[in-house]
Amino acid sequence: MNIQNDDTLLQVDGLRTVFDTRAGTVCAVDGVDVAVRRGECLGVVGESGSGKSVTFGSVMGLVRRPGRIDAGRILFDGRDLRALTPRQMRAIRGRDIAMTMQDALTALNPALTVGEQLAEVLEAHDEDLPTGRTARRRAIRDRSVEMLGLVGIPSPGTRLGQYPHEFSGGMRQRIMIAIALASKPKLLIADEPTTALDVTIQAQVLELISDIRAELGMSVVLITHDLGVVAEHCDRVMVMYAGQVVEQGPTADVICQPKHPYTKGLLGSIPRLSLRGERIHPIEGQVPELIDLPAQCRFYSRCRERGADCLKLIDMQDAGPARQARCIRVTPEAAQ
Amino acid sequence: MTGSPDTAPLLSVEGLSKSYHGQRSLAHRLAGRPQTVVQAVNDVSFGIRRGEIMGLIGESGCGKSTLGRAILRLHEPTAGRVTFDGTDVTALPEAGMKAMRRRMQIIFQDPYASLNPRRTVAEIVGLPLRLHGLAKTPAEARDITAAIVEKVGLKTAHLDRYPHQFSGGQRQRIGIARALVSHPEFIVCDEPVSALDVSIQAQIIQLLTDLKREMGLTYLFISHDISVIGYLSDRVAVMYLGEIVEHGPVESVLSNPRHPYTQSLMSAVPEVDRPGHKHRVRLTGDLPSPLSPPKGCKFHTRCPLATDICRSKAPVTEKVGGGHAAACHRLHENLSLLEEEPA
Repeated sequence: MNIQNDDTLLQVDGLRTVFDTRAGTVCAVDGVDVAVRRGECLGVVGESGSGKSVTFGSVMGLVRRPGRIDAGRILFDGRDLRALTPRQMRAIRGRDIAMTMQDALTALNPALTVGEQLAEVLEAHDEDLPTGRTARRRAIRDRSVEMLGLVGIPSPGTRLGQYPHEFSGGMRQRIMIAIALASKPKLLIADEPTTALDVTIQAQVLELISDIRAELGMSVVLITHDLGVVAEHCDRVMVMYAGQVVEQGPTADVICQPKHPYTKGLLGSIPRLSLRGERIHPIEGQVPELIDLPAQCRFYSRCRERGADCLKLIDMQDAGPARQARCIRVTPEAAQ
Repeated sequence: MTGSPDTAPLLSVEGLSKSYHGQRSLAHRLAGRPQTVVQAVNDVSFGIRRGEIMGLIGESGCGKSTLGRAILRLHEPTAGRVTFDGTDVTALPEAGMKAMRRRMQIIFQDPYASLNPRRTVAEIVGLPLRLHGLAKTPAEARDITAAIVEKVGLKTAHLDRYPHQFSGGQRQRIGIARALVSHPEFIVCDEPVSALDVSIQAQIIQLLTDLKREMGLTYLFISHDISVIGYLSDRVAVMYLGEIVEHGPVESVLSNPRHPYTQSLMSAVPEVDRPGHKHRVRLTGDLPSPLSPPKGCKFHTRCPLATDICRSKAPVTEKVGGGHAAACHRLHENLSLLEEEPA
């Protein structure tokens, strides 16, 4: 696997996103580096409040007051997104980078039909549309029908005229994916696309994303809290905890041989049929408040392997081929 | 502690049904349109032995929560009978039912919606003591409350705080304390860990299994998460559109599922252990609307094995041995959607 610069679609360096509140400055994302290669699927795992959604909300330029990006560089396809004007950013958002939200019911506009919402994206971003009014309208309709068909909505022609509430949860999620994909983006950020869905529907939606990724050659960032989803669908995984990346590497390696105690704890927390009769080992305690964090390992208070040497800022350490973990007990393996 | 298999079950449910009637507008009545009826739970029977955890799996809308609530008569069943420790619960008058609820409790899914935001922890957890007259003095009530709050892993210092001062996992502990304070024998756990993060979920599961052992409890554990059910249940029932389609000992049902719905459920669960080594059954389509359930076998609209008989006649539940049973016309053909993938 060669890691060349032109192979990288999205490169985030030292991203720091903060929220100014009355209680103090909440550092939701603190020094996060991300690299997404062309055509790959990156899984981002973490519990609520770990900063996974804020990281990619920052990439999309969706962080609003009281939040702000405090530091860092976001390079997408060679362009520095933070240097762009809002107008330039709008041209990229939705066209080159698309995002689907966790809750499809609140993310879709209840007062517009699905067809109108698809048409909006096409009007804004599709440059191949003909100029004549009738031809344009027909082209938009044809493309919309095509998109709904692509995500597996039966009889897309009639369904275009319906409102979001007339669809089931799985269908709404698929409609949101159709809207996100209408502009053929280079990068799809899927924020918990299946959390609200039943397992049989979840499997349908995830396979749909995989199929379309292969077809269009786009990159996918899959934000989830489910390690099982990551194991089955992602090439690489990035584990976040309290605003930092604590471990990253190829999915199979991270899941089979986790290096960071938090990743080990997460994997050990999953109940399974095969573990019947054995005690599971939950991570004790809770995620720390993200205000005025002490200069020490953020996982310190919950860590089974902690020691006095953990009471300082810990950097990412090399942990084997293409792997890193933010733990001082980690050493790169000589042989693998 | 656990009763031998031939002892009478602690809880037995026979032919339990619950339907909801839609409202009929005047126009509909004049037009002579029939009233819409949702059959949320349809003729369900099973038993739970003392000290056992019965897992109930199903997707949203399958009626699993309604079943749990109908057992406790939080939703009055439309038909059928629930017997608890020899008493016909469904026939109890209101006062008798109230007393019975000391012995039968419930833990809810949403730790945000199920606690009164204007009551302190001591008031929330202590309420069952007051309702059932289990404490002679307020001081005694507070002592009992403090003891149970510590048992579920909170501190006595938390007693005078309000729910909004707690995290989701801590709130769920408050809900558990409220269910346990009257020393019940049977608890319906209605998706108690679904709203929680993975690491907190594991803490609560561990707590529930520890409490069950210490206090000799019996659970009906409702969940959509097969891994959770597989980890902690002794027996399991799989529900689809208001009916139990398969039930039996958890190892038998989950490692050798016989109903095509259970098989497709199992194959849809993403697993950490052996990614990609699974033949995936693709179920097409969504759950049919319970307002107009399909005729015959309710699963036939999504079943890859459906034949003509499945579309016309409802299957009966048949035993396959070892307490394992399933309702499928093609049960004895030994068909499996889950082919072993060549290694």
